[in-house]
Amino acid sequence: MSWLTPHIGTQIVDFGSAMLLLTCFAIVAQRRLSACVDLFALQSLFLAMTAALVAFLTDTPHIYIAAALTVVVKVIVIPRVLKGVIERLNVTRELVMKVNVPASLLICGALVMIAFFITQPIIPFGHLLTRDSLAIALAIVLIGFFTMISRQKAVTQLIAFLMMENGLFLGATAATYGMPLIVELGVFFDVLVAALIAGIYTNRLQDAFDSVDTTRLSELKE
Amino acid sequence: MIGHTVTFAVSLLLLAPFVAGWFSLLIPGSRWLHVTNLTSIGTLVGAEMVITRAVFAQGSVTAFDDIIYIDALSSVILFIIGTVGLACSLYMRSYMDEQVGRGVIASKRLNLFFFLFHMFLFAMVLATVANSLGVQWVAIEATTLATTFLIAFWRRRESLEAGWKYLILCSVGISLALFGVVLMYYSSLRVLGDVSSALNITQLQQVAAQLDPHIVKLAFIFLFVGYGTKVGLVPMHSWLPDAYTEAPAPVAAMLAGVLETVAVYAILRCRGIADQAVSPDFTGGLLALFGLISFALAALFILLQHNYKRLFAYSSIEHMGLAMVGFGVGGTIGNFGGLFHLVNHAFAKSLAFFAAGNIHRRFKTVEIDQVRGLTTVLPWTAVALLISGLALAALPPFALFASEMQIVTALASSGLPHEWTRPATTFPVVLLLLCSVVAFAGFLYRITGMVWGPAPMDIVHGEQWSVGHIPIMLLGIVLVAFSLALPASLRQLFEAASTLLTR
Repeated sequence: MSWLTPHIGTQIVDFGSAMLLLTCFAIVAQRRLSACVDLFALQSLFLAMTAALVAFLTDTPHIYIAAALTVVVKVIVIPRVLKGVIERLNVTRELVMKVNVPASLLICGALVMIAFFITQPIIPFGHLLTRDSLAIALAIVLIGFFTMISRQKAVTQLIAFLMMENGLFLGATAATYGMPLIVELGVFFDVLVAALIAGIYTNRLQDAFDSVDTTRLSELKE
Repeated sequence: MIGHTVTFAVSLLLLAPFVAGWFSLLIPGSRWLHVTNLTSIGTLVGAEMVITRAVFAQGSVTAFDDIIYIDALSSVILFIIGTVGLACSLYMRSYMDEQVGRGVIASKRLNLFFFLFHMFLFAMVLATVANSLGVQWVAIEATTLATTFLIAFWRRRESLEAGWKYLILCSVGISLALFGVVLMYYSSLRVLGDVSSALNITQLQQVAAQLDPHIVKLAFIFLFVGYGTKVGLVPMHSWLPDAYTEAPAPVAAMLAGVLETVAVYAILRCRGIADQAVSPDFTGGLLALFGLISFALAALFILLQHNYKRLFAYSSIEHMGLAMVGFGVGGTIGNFGGLFHLVNHAFAKSLAFFAAGNIHRRFKTVEIDQVRGLTTVLPWTAVALLISGLALAALPPFALFASEMQIVTALASSGLPHEWTRPATTFPVVLLLLCSVVAFAGFLYRITGMVWGPAPMDIVHGEQWSVGHIPIMLLGIVLVAFSLALPASLRQLFEAASTLLTR
């Protein structure tokens, strides 16, 4: 394919990474939990497509495996589990927020700038194809971190955690064209089990506290 | 020939807990569960001995095509896993059976308990022997997943809360460490080219000096924050007191004695690589600074505690902070002191949690004020609590005092490492000594209050001998004996490990 020059390839990979970042902002702005899950699935799909593109452009077959696993685990299995949890728990919206949506978006914007600032000195060492994605990956990790702190429903916290994982995966693909396969598989296993365990927890928390609002979890104060 | 024996021992080391875990799901009845458990731990300890001997002979051991890498440092950690694991298994025989007998848990749930316990052990062993930093990360995240249900095992509201907090905080922290691993791989690929072994410790050590300092610095910060969450360094410690309070006593002993040590080991491994690429003052300063902050704050928090399990938890943060100061300052004395402190702390803290488990079962409360007159109610436990308490307060004849003194000496002679300015000496030493006096006083005051005094009348007096007392006795004897003399082989092992760290 002669039209797919490295330059255009870089543009497409950058575009994919930017879409990942955009869905992050959408999740931060979204109050409806089921929409958050959908957005997470969409983000994972973008991630898988970006990864597959990198695999195609650089001819690294093992990234295809990771991309396929992303589709199976993060686009299909985990969103289904989360939808089930939401349905059972009968919670639909994040009602009270510690930081309201406009302020959250502003903070996330600042986090993106910080991420670019931190990675500035190391970006020039990267592969030409994916060098800007590393900064975006760190930005996604930081936004996930922030969402985790600022949201209260267990489900949202879980989505924020998975968002961080997506950022990490993008970082690994961008910086190094994927981790060694054994590590990649291990990470997928851990994420899947973590999501399942968190799903079980939300059920038990619902039974014990009659709520999945983690602010109710304050019996262990000093 | 030695090669084959070692390969066999390594496979036993990993297979014993893994197989025993899945096997535990199938066996009915607590008796055979305990037999399986003890067999697996016994195999593990035996395999460790074989491996340690090989490490002595060859310096380091690799197996399975360089997937496994064991040197003196990993052997020390394996030694701690084996000893504390064995003690916990013996203690569980009486502890878990009593819980089943009293109807706190259904006997079926014992299967789940042992499954998770073995997976926990397996993950820790894997994290210790893995050659690849990536596999090590996967294993440490797996310890979080295995232990979260162990912490929430009683399924009370508080324990569910503690388990959830632990899962979320540690997973997030550990995710940051994964970013560090990615960056480490990024830097090593630039030197090694696109090979899948570029995350292996053996490979990284060879090329460490050529790695790019900017990337390695950033990677180490992420790794330190991530694994530091697992160690429970301030300010990432908030999950720790809750988890230790709510977990069943043997699990709390494993968390405090072993898991923290494994996380420290992961930090030390990354440090060994980072140090050659960036100035050792950078990593050392980071370790020592966070160690000192953890030590000082935990010492103050010890004064405020009214719950004996939380008291032990804060004392864990304190001792881990102190060990970090030792490793951060470095040098032969600092590293040896830090390692020796880790070992002693593991023994003393597991003994303390065994005693706490006994007290909790009898008094049905975790409030220090309501526990009085242990000498008449539970004489053996009183002795155990006193020994562990005195050791954890770092009273002179005990080995924790010796290691604490080594760390203070190292700090006083080389000062807090710092990249830009002259190392500061006076202030950190004064702060360290002052806080250790505070912790000493606060800890002893609480412990002695529990041991002596008139016993409440509405509680059964006297203590029946059980299997659970064997590890309590043994750990007590070891703690006292270590304060008098360290066996030659162990001293040799610790010295070999601290030389590796000093290099």
